[in-house]
Amino acid sequence: MSGHRLTLKAAPALRVDARALQPAALAAMSAAQVERLALPHGRDRVAVGELFRVEALDADGARLELAGDLSRFDRIGQALADGALHVHGPVGDHAGAGMSGGTLHIDGDARDLAGCSLRGGWLEVSGSVGDLAASALPGDMDGMRGGTFVVRGHAGVRLADRMRRGTLVVFGDCGDFLASRLVAGTLAIGGRCGAHVGYGMRRGSLVFAGPAPALSPTFVPVHSNADVFWQLLARDLARFGGPFDGLARRRVVRHAGDLAAQGKGELLIPA
Amino acid sequence: MKLNGVTIDATFAEAFPMKATRLVITAHTPTWANHAAVAATGFATSVIACGCEAGIERPLGPDETPDGRPGVAVLIFAMSGKELAKQIERRVGQCVLTCPTTAVYAGLSDGEPVALGKNLRFFGDGWQTSKVIAGVRYWRIPVMDGEFVAQETTAVTKGVGGGNLLLLAADTDAALAGAEAAVEAMRRVPNVILPFPGGVVRSGSKVGSKYPALMASTNDAFCPALTGLARQTELDAATRCVMEIVIDGLTDADVARAMSAGLKAIVERGAPAGVTRVSAGNYGGKLGPFHFHLHQLVPGAEGRP
Repeated sequence: MSGHRLTLKAAPALRVDARALQPAALAAMSAAQVERLALPHGRDRVAVGELFRVEALDADGARLELAGDLSRFDRIGQALADGALHVHGPVGDHAGAGMSGGTLHIDGDARDLAGCSLRGGWLEVSGSVGDLAASALPGDMDGMRGGTFVVRGHAGVRLADRMRRGTLVVFGDCGDFLASRLVAGTLAIGGRCGAHVGYGMRRGSLVFAGPAPALSPTFVPVHSNADVFWQLLARDLARFGGPFDGLARRRVVRHAGDLAAQGKGELLIPA
Repeated sequence: MKLNGVTIDATFAEAFPMKATRLVITAHTPTWANHAAVAATGFATSVIACGCEAGIERPLGPDETPDGRPGVAVLIFAMSGKELAKQIERRVGQCVLTCPTTAVYAGLSDGEPVALGKNLRFFGDGWQTSKVIAGVRYWRIPVMDGEFVAQETTAVTKGVGGGNLLLLAADTDAALAGAEAAVEAMRRVPNVILPFPGGVVRSGSKVGSKYPALMASTNDAFCPALTGLARQTELDAATRCVMEIVIDGLTDADVARAMSAGLKAIVERGAPAGVTRVSAGNYGGKLGPFHFHLHQLVPGAEGRP
């Protein structure tokens, strides 16, 4: 297998829907075929060759690299099922939405709705993500429901709204309504977070490796011993490094909630 | 064959395929992990009436367990996957869930998954929660000392049961001392258990009985009380006590290694220490697919044809 490296020549005039840039599909094409591929651009379509300089790439497995300021490119890696997609530069909305496998690395920022309805695979953003990352797409009951989502920068408001499964790690700060209406899953936050943490969360675990959040009255402290579970979780989170390294050596205080919605979730605050 | 004065019979142990799993039981201290493991592997000497054969494989240090606490590795063997699943549920539910501070994990990763915490979770009466960590699902059941954590499933693999050594000696003291030395050496071999009390069984059995209802009965050919009475005997007048060591292992190579270790211990002690002859139990080779020939397992056998 092989891949391609697409280097942006100049930013497009309008927004581009880049969901067709799939590593597995492009790996089967020649550079000339990739150049002829048309992407929706505003109300028209534009050929990849007009936007990017296309080079063949020697790689193990299907690999696609995009380089340049892609902040006008939406839906990069949407519905990615396998292969590796690496973006050198910022991207637009819906990056990695509905991914079910493969890896998507973004060396830069992603805008709103990144990793929405993520089902599997590995999504990593070295910069920050906008609002509603890992949340539900319009019409969906659940947000992120599998896979691993790593944000090395900050995240906007309503991160992980209605998330159901999977692991979401944010090294930096989060906006208001973090994990609102969370159904289940694991979140680990390295920085500080805004108001209304876990608003209406039913199940799931939130780990605050950084400063403790302000808790709403619908969360109650739990004084029982949960060291076994904490060791299992903390040792797994240690692989992300940074603020999550050494969590297993810290004692943890648990708060259960949101009591307004089942209350089987927990906020884990290491001392 | 005679090594260091010990006669090694030209015979073989006959073993059968079984279904097996390993469980890792951890607790706040090694003592409590051991209490749970001892209880969970109790009344599990023979599949004839216990449903399974189980034993403690070895203690585990904090660096060897998923939660960083001391633990114990336990092996459980049964004749079918269904029976094994039933035994796991009963034994973990009654002996591990109930034991203070314990948690239980699968000790094998490859094999068909069977329920471990999957059904025990209902003890939580709705308060149970699950968590997937690194692709593995765990159940957390609130209990009076905190919470009981159990991995959802454990893997069942094909094992080998019924490897054995028969130790023939002049008297009880000599037979027990020999058996204890062999057991100590064999317990150091990984992936095996010796399911009988102290690793030793004195009531070796043969297939069938004069009573139609019984599947197994006393191994009269090796009973010193019947030397002059039974139609067929394997013993001479000088042999007054016979002990058997039964081995279950995850693979036939593991059983062979354990038998080798036991033979080595007996041979090194030599005939003057009391065990003068080693034999093995088989059913003529027609029932079990695994044959462990003693002459191929004795010390230094690798170079022989």
